[in-house]
Amino acid sequence: MMLQVIADGLIVGSVISLGAIGLTITFSILRFSNFGHGELLAWGAYIALSALAWFAAAGGTEASRFAPLSFGWPLVFALLGAMAGTAALALALDWALFKRLRSQGAITLVIASFGAALATRNLLFYFYGGIPQYYSVDLQIAVPLLPRSVMGGLRVTPDQLFALALTVVTVTGLHLFMSRSTLGRAMRATSHNPQLARISGIDPERVMRATWVIGAMLAALAGVFAGLTVQLRPTMGLDLLLPLFAAAILGGIGSVWGAVIGGLIVGLAESFAVMWIGAEYRSAAAFAVLIAILLVRPTGLFAEKA
Amino acid sequence: MMAALTIEHLEAGYEPGLPIVKGASLTVGQGEIVAILGPNGAGKSTLVKAVAGLVAISAGRVLLGTEDITCTPAHQLCGRGLAFVPQSENVFANLTVAENLELAAALQKVERRERLPALYAMFPDLARQRGLLAGRLSGGQRQMLAIARALIRLPQVLMLDEPSAGLSPRLVAEVFAKLREIRASGVTVLLVEQNVKAALALADRAAVLVEGRERVVGSAAELMADARIAELYLGRHAVGRQASPQFAQAPVPKPLKPAP
Repeated sequence: MMLQVIADGLIVGSVISLGAIGLTITFSILRFSNFGHGELLAWGAYIALSALAWFAAAGGTEASRFAPLSFGWPLVFALLGAMAGTAALALALDWALFKRLRSQGAITLVIASFGAALATRNLLFYFYGGIPQYYSVDLQIAVPLLPRSVMGGLRVTPDQLFALALTVVTVTGLHLFMSRSTLGRAMRATSHNPQLARISGIDPERVMRATWVIGAMLAALAGVFAGLTVQLRPTMGLDLLLPLFAAAILGGIGSVWGAVIGGLIVGLAESFAVMWIGAEYRSAAAFAVLIAILLVRPTGLFAEKA
Repeated sequence: MMAALTIEHLEAGYEPGLPIVKGASLTVGQGEIVAILGPNGAGKSTLVKAVAGLVAISAGRVLLGTEDITCTPAHQLCGRGLAFVPQSENVFANLTVAENLELAAALQKVERRERLPALYAMFPDLARQRGLLAGRLSGGQRQMLAIARALIRLPQVLMLDEPSAGLSPRLVAEVFAKLREIRASGVTVLLVEQNVKAALALADRAAVLVEGRERVVGSAAELMADARIAELYLGRHAVGRQASPQFAQAPVPKPLKPAP
């Protein structure tokens, strides 16, 4: 039982981690808490759904399925389309709203992000309706990885394993990008000291655009994983928003690895809460862990040191 | 002597309608070291920040050589040959020493395999600490890294805001010795300094800024010999010394005030 709870927590946590990375880099570079970040997840998930519907209309999905996964090439292309579409949405929001308000300070941007979240969420209701939707209606059977005799056993669906593995690959790729590439280093430099970044030759607008694009692409990935392992609802971004913030704060604002670890801790806390005190208290448990860690370490676990 | 940097009647400040620099003018000749001196609140740092594109300019103009760079975005200036080292937080503390320099090389499109060894040879302390986070360097090492970062592509003009701030006299001597080396390589240096004695010992010329305008501009030797400079900034008695003709006609600088 214990292993199963841990596995469930890590799977939920991987989705939260991907979303929290976007949130934390947005905060550290754009200098405001984007309460619309959850909506980028939801839009990513729904853009992929539309792309899948288009593929299905064009020729069906059955023949191209990657057994034993529930999906095939169409979802891979849909995922890429969702990442591109969500990045375009984020850039459009920045151009139409945030860029114009940047000089007004963080509070104005935060309030604007609430407005953007409401507008984009309601657009999802308008376009897709409020009924939960799925990428595949086929029932996936969890595969036993360990027998019951080993700490209660372990069963996961192939889709869950895929999501977990792709999260690891994505986070590793992002780490290499941030530590090795000029743009990644420029983003880290800007997050630490925007003024010094400017006089060092870093174009702040270019870095901000890159931040939106990367944050939105990760959000789309998280949204598709959430849709793949649970279901799609227009409120899925809102439901994930508080865990995303909890993970970003827990890991230390500005730290990519902090967001990853924070997301996994929040996922595990939620998973153990479901087992020990009931599913209705899962969010409360995540926040209890957050408060406990912040009391000991107010800057979070991995806040970047100056 | 050809002018490397010309500041003409510059007005600049943080709030619209409230200039801190009020019509300052200064010419820095090619290959010179010029120091900007003055009491706290005189607008020295604001002046160099305005030239560096970090503070809004409301009037006047700035020429780099013959090119008008007034109001050029800060991130474009280093590519044009103007480098600036701020007083504090002048390195990326969350990057290693090597990452700081490699990022600067990449941004300036400098071949790092050619340039970095030369910089490490010039700053051997940095070579030894290249894998260390810049935030863990000592004050002197940080200053050296900030200067090395600014020199990644040899600039026409290097501006420094109080490079001696917070450093021990030994480290100040080291930093200033590096500035002499840098000048010898053909780079023009403009520095803001509170350490008047050290600045005048280093500089060819100096300007005293009071209430946002230059009141005196002269050779370092002239200013060193000036009675009121000596009294106000060097802590010497004015007995036996004469005020320079320019300074005698200029308003008396305000006494030094503590920083706000």
